[in-house]
Amino acid sequence: MAKLKSVLGYSVAALGIPIMIAAVLGIRLFLNPNAFISATGLEHSANWTGGEVVQTIEHGTYQTDVHRPVFDALIGEHKKGFVQVAWRPPEALPARIDEEIDADADGRADFRIELETATKQASLTPYSPNVIELQGVYDLEETLAVRVRLKNPRQ
Amino acid sequence: MTAQALTREGTPRMAIWKALLLTLPIVPFAAAALANDLMSGEAQLIEIIPSLLIWILLTVFFFRMLVTGKTHRYRSALFILLAFAVPLYLIPQLFELYGTNMLTPEMTYTAKARFCPMTMGMVILPAVLKGVVIFPGAIVEGIGWFFLWIGASLVIGRGWCSWGCIFGGWDEFFSRLRKKPVVKHVDRKWRFLPFAVLLAIVLLSAITFHPIYCEWLCPFKVVSEFEAPTSLATTVALVIFPLTFFGLVVALPLLTKKRIQCGLFCPFGALQSFFNKINIFELRIDLDKCSQCKRCFRECPTFSLDEGSLVSGKALMSCTRCGQCVDACPKGAMSYHIKGTRIGISPNAARLLFLYPAYILFCGFGANVIADALWRVLRLITTGSMI
Repeated sequence: MAKLKSVLGYSVAALGIPIMIAAVLGIRLFLNPNAFISATGLEHSANWTGGEVVQTIEHGTYQTDVHRPVFDALIGEHKKGFVQVAWRPPEALPARIDEEIDADADGRADFRIELETATKQASLTPYSPNVIELQGVYDLEETLAVRVRLKNPRQ
Repeated sequence: MTAQALTREGTPRMAIWKALLLTLPIVPFAAAALANDLMSGEAQLIEIIPSLLIWILLTVFFFRMLVTGKTHRYRSALFILLAFAVPLYLIPQLFELYGTNMLTPEMTYTAKARFCPMTMGMVILPAVLKGVVIFPGAIVEGIGWFFLWIGASLVIGRGWCSWGCIFGGWDEFFSRLRKKPVVKHVDRKWRFLPFAVLLAIVLLSAITFHPIYCEWLCPFKVVSEFEAPTSLATTVALVIFPLTFFGLVVALPLLTKKRIQCGLFCPFGALQSFFNKINIFELRIDLDKCSQCKRCFRECPTFSLDEGSLVSGKALMSCTRCGQCVDACPKGAMSYHIKGTRIGISPNAARLLFLYPAYILFCGFGANVIADALWRVLRLITTGSMI
């Protein structure tokens, strides 16, 4: 029994060498990370991406993307969150954007955003008690976006 | 141990021819940076020289480990070198890409943060339960780190913390600066703190969907990237980062000669401790040889040996397999050991079987990081710019 345990011990220890080589060198050889990501369905938290776009408003030369309100939590939802509104493409945006946004898709505008696209100065006029404040204006890769803090109406 | 003699301290030496032969398998891994340079096809001499030097250094150090029987002495030097190289490698890279090492909200919203293995504990639970990655870095990079981390953790357990961690060398450096500790007694109850920190940050990160440790506590933000002070929260965090760095990584290691951040705070280290339970390697004391001098106990930088170890002959689950106790033991009673085998039968075989994967892990990314850092220093000297 002691000899068997010893042989097994040394075998497992020796197996560590190819495992480590695979871990250090082999990931790129054995695994396509993009395929792995697709297979597992992994995606970034909506805290970073802003969540899925649920409404796109056409303005001729540019579009407004309204993302879903984000209250994501591991269990249930958070009491507070945000909604991201983004305008694209940046080069086609007018000097001033003045737009009413229906964040919860109930057919009524929840707030109004006035945005100077050159200076990235924005102001918020809340229409709904669930709208807290303007979080910020962000020059993202292919959009100019704002985030507006919201209370979760379901909490 | 026919081909071995004992050093004055009692650790096994190896014949030069045997050490040379056993170093050969490491040679290609030590050349990782050089291979990268050559494969790129555009590397200039100034880029190849550091990679060549690192190749030689890594090979010579492994050979020296074998021939002298000393593990910690050479590992520690490389580990500290890697820690100092990380900011020299990372920060200029970030300046090249984004013009800053401060993460703006725009950079986090477009996942531009650099993944770090220390995020794993926070990221796994939301990823498994909700399919959501709560760290704002490229998922592809995170997947690479995940497989490296899981593979390394299965093979060397918490040895990651002394052979793979890109930051641990900082507190190892400061813990080695003084000859004697100023604070000689640290209450051993503090050893449980990393587990409490781990539990807290895993739960808080899962609840908030934010990597709490990275956003609020990580001392190593000081030597890597950090969030730009665009809100009250990020400004407060910017005050916390240097405080945790100078407290846990500089001051306390200097005073205690222990790796305080690694041993008494790091939640990632606590997570790694669980891998020691399922890992085949361990550090054992041969109680027949042990003179109960407690030198190992005093030398252990992460509080992983205690009075109980001198009775059970085992290091605690927080052991980082750094080898400091093995090097320090005057009787050669401490050794790397493979679970299930008899103690003291062939300690050199067990040590070798641990050293190979541990060193391959170090070479795997350490060689590139150190070579790139050295290249940037050379560039600074020759052109006045690291970028």
